[in-house]
Amino acid sequence: MNKYLLNGIYAIFAVIIISAFAFKVFQPIQVLPRMQLAPAFNLTDQNNESLTSEELRGKFVLYTFTYTNCPAPCYNLSTTIQEVQSRLSEVELGDIEVAFVTVSFDPDRDTAEVLKAYSTSINADTEQWDFATTTNKALLKTIVGSGFETYYEDKGNGDFAFTPSFVLVDGWGIVRAEYRYQTAVPDTDRILRHLGVLAEEVRNSTGSNKLAYEAAHLFLCYAP
Amino acid sequence: MKFRIALVISVVVAGLAAGIYFFRPHTFHGTVIQSPDPSYNFTLTSADGDVSLSDYRGKLVLIYFGYTFCPDVCPATLANVGQALRNLSESQANDVQLIMISLDPERDSPEKLAEYVGHFYPSFIGITGSSEKLAEVTSLYGIFYQKSEGSTADKYLIDHTATLLVIDREGYLKLVFPFGVTVDEIADDLKYMLRQ
Repeated sequence: MNKYLLNGIYAIFAVIIISAFAFKVFQPIQVLPRMQLAPAFNLTDQNNESLTSEELRGKFVLYTFTYTNCPAPCYNLSTTIQEVQSRLSEVELGDIEVAFVTVSFDPDRDTAEVLKAYSTSINADTEQWDFATTTNKALLKTIVGSGFETYYEDKGNGDFAFTPSFVLVDGWGIVRAEYRYQTAVPDTDRILRHLGVLAEEVRNSTGSNKLAYEAAHLFLCYAP
Repeated sequence: MKFRIALVISVVVAGLAAGIYFFRPHTFHGTVIQSPDPSYNFTLTSADGDVSLSDYRGKLVLIYFGYTFCPDVCPATLANVGQALRNLSESQANDVQLIMISLDPERDSPEKLAEYVGHFYPSFIGITGSSEKLAEVTSLYGIFYQKSEGSTADKYLIDHTATLLVIDREGYLKLVFPFGVTVDEIADDLKYMLRQ
């Protein structure tokens, strides 16, 4: 074979391999992993109205899980949500809406009235932030425990043992990030950065750019 | 010399274009999920007895949630999957199993389901279970469903998430097709996954 042709072929492979390597190393595009499908649900919110996973489709939703009788010092989950909410303008979201949902795993005591009183007591902006639960405890365990993979257990003395966590779900109902206290303190900067990464993917991953974004998923170019 | 350099550059550029085209990563038509955990393993009832997701380890499993009275969305999706399987080779199609989970156990007996899904493709399986079991399975697969408002006791529609899910040979959720995915798109993604 002509040696120039052979050199050319070597060069082609070299360029392809170097390009792939460079893509992986320099990560020109970063994404959040598509971890799993978020559970579907039909809960009851603080206004005693139904809150379904279906009506949250199209929005980025940050979930957290707690109970209003959590004795002090309890985890400041609501404070984190309020901080994220107050700093949302720092993120280029375009026309994508963000919603916050606090799910209570104590439906016996956290009735709609109690959830409403709690939301008022912490000055929650309920236009964007819902507090919800369901009296079907088996289903609640499926949704929170198996679906959102958040551990909680009724200790029987009015207290719950639970893993404080936040779960970020995209507009397609796919879990894109989890924040747990055990591994890292979920700070608002990180959550806001992730919301920005998600919004950028929604804005840009159309047409030929979709290939680049899929490559970023393929090469696990995950945002820190 | 200049001619040779130009020739090499031309070969590299043309080859690179061809190389990128042939070695480009497969672009899935569905949304790819990189789940670290295997999919939830359910057991529901078919006309031939209990069926678990794990029974089909080694095959690609397509899961579709619907009901036999479903007027348009379900038959359209099932017909598209049936046609996509006919577009594969016989051995490829044998490595794919569609399971339809009925959200309407009151009206869809396992026998009725078997007859219904068989119209779309001979190997399709229809399963269902108690409403408690269905609530669990649907929630964990991100499927929302409820009886449509304005329905009467025996004539009702069920609103439901109409995605088509693909579980890989090792039991991990790999792909989520939106409603409206075409025959060619399903066949293209299945062929790629079958080569893996």
